[in-house]
Amino acid sequence: MTPAPAMPASGNGGPSLAIRCGGIDFHNPVLTASGTFGYGKEFAGLLPLASLGGLVTKGISPNPRFGNPAPRICETAAGMLNSIGLENVGLEGFAAEKLPFLRTCGTKVLVNFFGTTFDEYVECGQRLGQLEGVDGLEMNVSCPNIKAGGIEFGRDPRVLGELVRACRNVIAKPLWVKLTPNTSDIVLLARACAENGADAVSVINTIGGMAIDAHTRRPRLATVFGGLSGPAIKPVALRMVYQIHRAGLGIPICGIGGIQSGIDAVEFFLAGASTVQVGTQNFIDPASSERVVREVEDFCRANGVTDLREIVGGLVV
Amino acid sequence: MRYFDARIIENRALGNGYFVLRLGGCESLAGSRPGQFMMLRGDWGRDPLLPRPMSLLSVAPEGRADLLARAVGQGTRLLESALPGTRVSILGPLGNGFPEPTQATLDLLVAGGVGMPPLFMQAEHAAHRGLIDRCEMIYGGRTARDLVLLAEMRGLGLAPCLATEDGSVGRRGRVTAALEARIEHHRAATPDRRLRIMACGPREMLWAVARIAEPHAIECYLSVEEQMACGIGVCLGCAMPARSRPFRYACSDGPVFLASDLVIPPAPGQVAGGAP
Repeated sequence: MTPAPAMPASGNGGPSLAIRCGGIDFHNPVLTASGTFGYGKEFAGLLPLASLGGLVTKGISPNPRFGNPAPRICETAAGMLNSIGLENVGLEGFAAEKLPFLRTCGTKVLVNFFGTTFDEYVECGQRLGQLEGVDGLEMNVSCPNIKAGGIEFGRDPRVLGELVRACRNVIAKPLWVKLTPNTSDIVLLARACAENGADAVSVINTIGGMAIDAHTRRPRLATVFGGLSGPAIKPVALRMVYQIHRAGLGIPICGIGGIQSGIDAVEFFLAGASTVQVGTQNFIDPASSERVVREVEDFCRANGVTDLREIVGGLVV
Repeated sequence: MRYFDARIIENRALGNGYFVLRLGGCESLAGSRPGQFMMLRGDWGRDPLLPRPMSLLSVAPEGRADLLARAVGQGTRLLESALPGTRVSILGPLGNGFPEPTQATLDLLVAGGVGMPPLFMQAEHAAHRGLIDRCEMIYGGRTARDLVLLAEMRGLGLAPCLATEDGSVGRRGRVTAALEARIEHHRAATPDRRLRIMACGPREMLWAVARIAEPHAIECYLSVEEQMACGIGVCLGCAMPARSRPFRYACSDGPVFLASDLVIPPAPGQVAGGAP
């Protein structure tokens, strides 16, 4: 990771939150997670988007997708399950309808993308990478591979490595890969990304789960299984971030999973993440990502940290 | 739409788990339309996690807003026991709301149980505009204890037509049977009058209302309640199968929909396509 020039977060000589992660210079390390922040515009009246380090869009596929039947979400203990079905406006809809606003939003824009075949990933990534106003791409590899019986691309390190390589070859912009936690060894997945040219890994996507209504004896989601997110998954996310960091792969990590506060974010930095994404919390408190930035700054100030980079990977074991 | 903190000024129990929360500090809700809603959350820690979509019952000057709810789940039970002074965060007003009352129409407001608030607010809105005689409240519940705020309804100038499943008050049976009777009455008495239906209540009730309205070609608006996390079209959790597109969203396209734009399932026991 190339150090970014130190830049104070505020003009009053406060701690520097500026950080370089995955080929992008962020003025602070707090981003918003794909699927929880729409296409940015939905939150424009609720917080100043420029106060964020960056935002990650809803996952984009080559063609529009309409998603899964309802019910698609359900609340669980300190978390929620979702099975939205990767609904999105599609590549052309994104370029025409969503990107013009994002070009003016004042923060770094990463576009999450996916496909259902290798070719779709490559096509989508290549085209998105050529669009002005896109600062980087985040591959969602938790999509079922139609040609391999529906198993997620991101579960098999060999398949994942080939997919990352194929996309890397056609994408000049920073390329991040959002890893699935539904694996026996997250380090193998991160290594496949690092060895095939990814610029960063986002860790973690939702954890597979389900919920049952005992009274009706039915699953609470129409698709039976869904992805668990929210504070319930933070310990799992921290473990995986730390495992990847400890493996010394040299690939920067963006930490995701149940972040509600600046202290939560700091825990991820200590585990080895150099940036974080706020996800489900955007539903609970739509202005929370801006608050997380302030709370990280407060933590640094209160603890004599003059530059965020001092604490990245600073876990004392 | 604003995101702000409000305080509970008063928490009035109505029995059987129903309660009215009076909130202060809701200046941002002034001008809300009947049928619009808010996402509301107290300082509950991490469980329950998500804010709750809540319909407005009434919006008054000086930042006052009233909600009617029933303690049925974790969030509403916490609200039921919330004391005056409790802080809540609110995102709202959200969604579209019901169409305006007009001189040229007669609106049948069909309320089922705790789905009543947006229809009360619609009636209040009509009363403020001098059009209370252009709406009629048809209100049903399981028992008399499920029909609340009747005095307030009469205070608006309504003479609510009541229905209970156990017959403890009003007509015995479902609210949909009462609706059919009112339609028959109006069709016979004033055949030229343009009727509209606005309904809010349990899912099965809404579908039944839509099935009643359709053969009469009555314009029918349904206010739906769905699981939602965000309230602003981001989480895409509140998808409703629709006719004009595969899905519409209760929060950002609704919560009020023309019944003709939703995919209404066939009545229980009936097979789609009309075969017996």
